[in-house]
Amino acid sequence: MITDKLLLTFLIALIVIIFLMLFRVLKGPTVFDRLNGLGVIGTDTIVVLILLGFLEKRVNMYVDIAISYGILGFISLVVIAKYFEGKGDVKP
Amino acid sequence: MTIVALVLLFSGFFFIVVAALGVIRFPDFYTRLHAAGKGDTLGIALFVLGLAVYNGFNFVSLKLLLIVLFVFLANPIGGHVLSRAAFRSGLKPWTKKGE
Repeated sequence: MITDKLLLTFLIALIVIIFLMLFRVLKGPTVFDRLNGLGVIGTDTIVVLILLGFLEKRVNMYVDIAISYGILGFISLVVIAKYFEGKGDVKP
Repeated sequence: MTIVALVLLFSGFFFIVVAALGVIRFPDFYTRLHAAGKGDTLGIALFVLGLAVYNGFNFVSLKLLLIVLFVFLANPIGGHVLSRAAFRSGLKPWTKKGE
Protein backbone atom coordinates (compact mmCIF):
# COMPACT_ATOMS: atom_id res chain seq x y z
CA MET A 1 0.00 0.00 0.00
CA ILE A 2 2.72 2.50 0.98
CA THR A 3 4.73 2.44 -2.24
CA ASP A 4 7.70 4.59 -3.17
CA LYS A 5 5.41 6.67 -5.34
CA LEU A 6 3.34 7.70 -2.31
CA LEU A 7 6.45 8.67 -0.33
CA LEU A 8 7.72 10.57 -3.36
CA THR A 9 4.51 12.60 -3.61
CA PHE A 10 4.76 13.41 0.10
CA LEU A 11 8.36 14.51 -0.46
CA ILE A 12 7.49 16.79 -3.36
CA ALA A 13 4.50 18.25 -1.49
CA LEU A 14 6.74 19.01 1.51
CA ILE A 15 9.27 20.74 -0.71
CA VAL A 16 6.45 22.89 -2.15
CA ILE A 17 5.42 23.73 1.43
CA ILE A 18 8.99 24.74 2.26
CA PHE A 19 8.95 27.15 -0.69
CA LEU A 20 5.66 28.55 0.59
CA MET A 21 7.39 29.16 3.92
CA LEU A 22 10.17 30.92 2.00
CA PHE A 23 7.47 33.31 0.82
CA ARG A 24 6.68 34.13 4.44
CA VAL A 25 10.38 34.59 5.20
CA LEU A 26 10.77 37.08 2.34
CA LYS A 27 7.54 38.97 2.94
CA GLY A 28 7.39 38.96 6.73
CA PRO A 29 7.14 42.57 7.98
CA THR A 30 9.10 42.03 11.19
CA VAL A 31 12.32 40.12 11.67
CA PHE A 32 10.44 37.73 13.96
CA ASP A 33 8.17 36.63 11.12
CA ARG A 34 11.29 35.71 9.24
CA LEU A 35 12.58 33.74 12.21
CA ASN A 36 9.25 32.01 12.52
CA GLY A 37 9.33 31.04 8.83
CA LEU A 38 12.88 29.73 9.18
CA GLY A 39 11.85 27.71 12.22
CA VAL A 40 9.08 26.04 10.25
CA ILE A 41 11.48 25.38 7.35
CA GLY A 42 13.93 23.83 9.80
CA THR A 43 11.42 21.41 11.24
CA ASP A 44 10.00 20.53 7.82
CA THR A 45 13.42 19.58 6.52
CA ILE A 46 13.59 16.94 9.28
CA VAL A 47 10.64 15.20 7.65
CA VAL A 48 12.10 15.68 4.17
CA LEU A 49 15.34 14.04 5.33
CA ILE A 50 13.52 11.05 6.83
CA LEU A 51 11.48 10.63 3.64
CA LEU A 52 14.70 10.67 1.63
CA GLY A 53 15.99 7.95 3.90
CA PHE A 54 12.92 5.83 3.25
CA LEU A 55 13.19 6.33 -0.49
CA GLU A 56 16.83 5.25 -0.60
CA LYS A 57 16.32 2.36 1.84
CA ARG A 58 19.08 3.65 4.15
CA VAL A 59 16.89 4.93 6.95
CA ASN A 60 19.38 4.67 9.81
CA MET A 61 21.83 7.03 8.13
CA TYR A 62 19.20 9.65 7.32
CA VAL A 63 17.57 9.47 10.74
CA ASP A 64 20.85 10.49 12.37
CA ILE A 65 21.21 13.38 9.91
CA ALA A 66 17.63 14.47 10.63
CA ILE A 67 18.17 14.39 14.41
CA SER A 68 21.33 16.48 14.25
CA TYR A 69 19.72 18.89 11.80
CA GLY A 70 16.74 19.34 14.09
CA ILE A 71 18.92 19.99 17.11
CA LEU A 72 21.13 22.49 15.27
CA GLY A 73 18.11 24.26 13.79
CA PHE A 74 16.43 24.56 17.14
CA ILE A 75 19.51 25.87 18.97
CA SER A 76 20.22 28.45 16.27
CA LEU A 77 16.58 29.60 16.38
CA VAL A 78 16.82 30.15 20.13
CA VAL A 79 20.12 32.03 19.92
CA ILE A 80 19.02 34.29 17.07
CA ALA A 81 15.71 35.05 18.80
CA LYS A 82 17.53 36.02 21.98
CA TYR A 83 19.90 38.21 19.95
CA PHE A 84 17.01 40.12 18.41
CA GLU A 85 15.30 40.57 21.79
CA GLY A 86 15.80 44.32 22.02
CA LYS A 87 16.87 45.15 18.48
CA GLY A 88 13.82 44.03 16.47
CA ASP A 89 12.87 46.72 13.88
CA VAL A 90 9.31 46.71 15.12
CA LYS A 91 7.14 49.75 14.50
CA PRO A 92 5.35 50.47 17.83
CA MET B 1 -0.50 -2.39 10.15
CA THR B 2 0.02 -0.38 6.96
CA ILE B 3 -3.55 0.93 7.37
CA VAL B 4 -2.53 2.51 10.68
CA ALA B 5 0.59 3.94 9.08
CA LEU B 6 -1.43 5.30 6.17
CA VAL B 7 -3.95 6.99 8.46
CA LEU B 8 -1.14 8.53 10.53
CA LEU B 9 0.73 9.69 7.43
CA PHE B 10 -2.26 11.37 5.83
CA SER B 11 -3.48 13.04 9.04
CA GLY B 12 0.07 14.24 9.79
CA PHE B 13 0.39 15.62 6.30
CA PHE B 14 -2.98 17.32 6.64
CA PHE B 15 -1.82 19.15 9.77
CA ILE B 16 1.47 20.18 8.13
CA VAL B 17 -0.46 21.72 5.22
CA VAL B 18 -2.87 23.45 7.58
CA ALA B 19 0.01 24.84 9.63
CA ALA B 20 1.74 26.07 6.49
CA LEU B 21 -1.43 27.81 5.34
CA GLY B 22 -1.82 29.25 8.83
CA VAL B 23 1.67 30.71 8.80
CA ILE B 24 0.97 32.41 5.48
CA ARG B 25 -2.55 33.69 5.90
CA PHE B 26 -2.76 34.85 9.51
CA PRO B 27 -2.85 38.63 9.98
CA ASP B 28 -0.39 39.05 12.83
CA PHE B 29 2.93 37.66 14.01
CA TYR B 30 1.53 36.08 17.15
CA THR B 31 -1.23 34.25 15.31
CA ARG B 32 1.33 32.99 12.77
CA LEU B 33 3.51 31.81 15.59
CA HIS B 34 0.47 30.13 17.06
CA ALA B 35 -0.18 28.24 13.84
CA ALA B 36 3.46 27.31 13.25
CA GLY B 37 4.12 26.16 16.79
CA LYS B 38 1.10 23.97 17.32
CA GLY B 39 0.02 22.80 13.89
CA ASP B 40 3.48 22.03 12.67
CA THR B 41 4.50 20.11 15.77
CA LEU B 42 1.42 17.90 15.63
CA GLY B 43 1.72 17.38 11.90
CA ILE B 44 5.35 16.33 12.06
CA ALA B 45 4.73 14.17 15.13
CA LEU B 46 1.93 12.26 13.40
CA PHE B 47 3.84 12.00 10.14
CA VAL B 48 7.02 10.66 11.69
CA LEU B 49 4.95 8.36 13.91
CA GLY B 50 3.33 6.97 10.77
CA LEU B 51 6.78 6.38 9.26
CA ALA B 52 7.90 4.68 12.47
CA VAL B 53 4.88 2.35 12.35
CA TYR B 54 5.56 1.68 8.67
CA ASN B 55 9.17 0.89 9.49
CA GLY B 56 8.17 -1.91 11.86
CA PHE B 57 9.64 -2.75 15.24
CA ASN B 58 13.41 -2.18 15.16
CA PHE B 59 16.09 0.15 16.41
CA VAL B 60 15.60 2.73 13.69
CA SER B 61 11.94 3.31 14.50
CA LEU B 62 13.07 3.90 18.09
CA LYS B 63 15.21 6.76 16.74
CA LEU B 64 12.21 8.00 14.78
CA LEU B 65 10.23 8.11 18.02
CA LEU B 66 13.13 10.05 19.53
CA ILE B 67 12.72 12.61 16.75
CA VAL B 68 9.01 12.88 17.52
CA LEU B 69 9.80 13.47 21.19
CA PHE B 70 12.44 16.05 20.28
CA VAL B 71 10.11 17.99 17.98
CA PHE B 72 7.42 17.89 20.64
CA LEU B 73 9.85 19.47 23.12
CA ALA B 74 11.71 21.85 20.83
CA ASN B 75 8.96 23.54 18.85
CA PRO B 76 7.01 25.02 21.76
CA ILE B 77 10.24 26.28 23.31
CA GLY B 78 11.18 27.90 20.01
CA GLY B 79 7.77 29.49 19.83
CA HIS B 80 8.05 30.74 23.38
CA VAL B 81 11.47 32.30 22.82
CA LEU B 82 10.28 33.96 19.64
CA SER B 83 7.13 35.40 21.19
CA ARG B 84 9.03 36.71 24.22
CA ALA B 85 11.64 38.33 21.99
CA ALA B 86 8.91 39.90 19.84
CA PHE B 87 6.95 41.12 22.85
CA ARG B 88 10.09 42.51 24.51
CA SER B 89 10.88 44.56 21.42
CA GLY B 90 7.48 46.17 21.38
CA LEU B 91 5.40 44.18 18.88
CA LYS B 92 1.76 44.73 19.84
CA PRO B 93 -0.70 41.87 19.17
CA TRP B 94 -3.22 42.46 16.38
CA THR B 95 -6.72 43.41 17.57
CA LYS B 96 -10.00 42.93 15.74
CA LYS B 97 -10.65 46.68 15.58
CA GLY B 98 -7.62 46.79 13.32
CA GLU B 99 -5.91 49.86 14.77
